[in-house]
Amino acid sequence: MTESVKLTIPSDPKYLSLARKIVYHLLINHDVSKEIIPRLVLCVDEACSNIIKYGYNGCRDQPIEMTFSLAEDFFEVKIRDYGKQCDSRDIKPRPIHEVKPGGLGTYFINEIMDEVNYCTNREKGTLLTMCKNLKGELASARREIG
Amino acid sequence: MIMDIQSNQSDNGVATLMIEGEIDMNTCAQVQTHLMDLFNNNSKVIIVDLSKVSYIDSFGIATLVEGLQWSHNNNTKFRLTSLTPAVKDVFNIANLQTVFEIFDSPEDALKGL
Repeated sequence: MTESVKLTIPSDPKYLSLARKIVYHLLINHDVSKEIIPRLVLCVDEACSNIIKYGYNGCRDQPIEMTFSLAEDFFEVKIRDYGKQCDSRDIKPRPIHEVKPGGLGTYFINEIMDEVNYCTNREKGTLLTMCKNLKGELASARREIG
Repeated sequence: MIMDIQSNQSDNGVATLMIEGEIDMNTCAQVQTHLMDLFNNNSKVIIVDLSKVSYIDSFGIATLVEGLQWSHNNNTKFRLTSLTPAVKDVFNIANLQTVFEIFDSPEDALKGL
């Protein structure tokens, strides 16, 4: 069975902490191992931060709509914004050997998530879908392996 | 409290920045301002104590990278200490463990100066 939770926050950075806490509790309640949870939380945070910075250009009163879906071994996050669209081919993580500020958020998302898709096939904004296979990442599975 | 910052500067040019809480897009500007003040005060060594940082994202990392770059330009030593497991994990993903001078404690960071 897949469980879904929806969350909408304004595009104000002060709400990022709230979104992180909700994702954390969702995953903890789903028995996801504590090793992987902070990484999944980081991906949601990075995606929202990028929307605020690039999609909404810092504007703080625009909606960021999130849907978190959890199945037994699967975590999917859909994040919808109505800001400036960008060509997904332009969304490039910075080369990891370059030590400079910026571009790291996309790198984190690509490193941690199994699937990442930016869909701009709509009148306004972007739908970002990120998926993580949780097989082997549930705390109970880890206890069995251990 | 999302984040609290305390800084102190000793007479011998060693400044310590103690950050408590979460460093993200919302709070990184405060870290940047404190770091800028320490560089402007001609600190010779800046030690950033991360022992009470429960979360850091790419904006927090970018702020520390900026501090590192300022330190190169100002001939200042810029050292990080006491990374929590959560912070260490983000540094590992970003492959930054060897880019910064990282120490287990502020005392260790003062050794060999």
